[in-house]
Amino acid sequence: MKLIDGLFDKLFEQQTRQLAQRSSRRGMLKTLGGLLVGAGSIPLLPVARAAAAESPGHPVEEGDPSSCDYWRYCAIDGFLCSCCGGSENTCPPGTEMSPVTWIGTCRNPADGRNYVISYNDCCGKSSCGACLCQRDEGDRPPYRPDKTNDINWCLGTASATYHCSTAIVVGVAFEGK
Amino acid sequence: MKTVLTILALLLATSLEAAELNPQRAQFNYQMSCQGCHAPDGSGANAVPRMRDYVGNFLSTQAGREYLVRVPGSAVSALDDAELAEVLNWIVLEFAGSSAVQPFEHYSPQEVGRLRQQPLNEVVQYRAQLLADIASANLRE
Repeated sequence: MKLIDGLFDKLFEQQTRQLAQRSSRRGMLKTLGGLLVGAGSIPLLPVARAAAAESPGHPVEEGDPSSCDYWRYCAIDGFLCSCCGGSENTCPPGTEMSPVTWIGTCRNPADGRNYVISYNDCCGKSSCGACLCQRDEGDRPPYRPDKTNDINWCLGTASATYHCSTAIVVGVAFEGK
Repeated sequence: MKTVLTILALLLATSLEAAELNPQRAQFNYQMSCQGCHAPDGSGANAVPRMRDYVGNFLSTQAGREYLVRVPGSAVSALDDAELAEVLNWIVLEFAGSSAVQPFEHYSPQEVGRLRQQPLNEVVQYRAQLLADIASANLRE
């Protein structure tokens, strides 16, 4: 028993000494102090809140992105890139995504929340011709140009030739007051 | 001690100022009414003017400050005066970056409501002249 006690004593002594050699008490205070002050300031930074709003995350989804009924297509008017060699988020090879786009909101049936959807067109090849969808919810006449899907949104791309449309989740709709 | 008190006062002032603006609501209104052309980060595209690291230039003169409200995208937008004022303040705080001018006096709904009654028609020429005036005013300083 004494032998085991002695072993334990030695082991703990050794470890304590090693720890004391590796670390400084001031260093410990500095880290702790930094953490305390840092954590206190986080809620004051508007950056943190902006970042939280910017990332809509990955909403839980259901449905088929190559069907007109897919929830993100509530305001679409065009060919689905999902049927044209691309996806609901990406352009088919050989086309360029328009940086200028029209934006609306759609309700996600999987979680009941409204999301901000950007209908970026893919441009540079002639019309895809597959999966033509026209749902037009929230579509406005061209006198409201930022809220109409009746114009060619291939703006800001090298070619103005329309090929197909994506439907990208860019945010969560603000539903407070 | 004095320094500590100053820092605390500044922090308090910043948080009070931020409270007047709801960043989530402002960003949502930006997304719905501005982002389609001005891009998520305010960088614009081709003929669409860049706001990122640039929009602050307009705030160095009164005519420039008014321009940001009178430009058609603002003046005839579907946003009401309070929403438009909030989104403009958010755009300046979020995107002015290296072009920021201090202090920035926030737009009020009343100011925005008054200015948007005079929307600009020949906006491209007006903007070019405005920027030339701002550049020569900056040179004189």
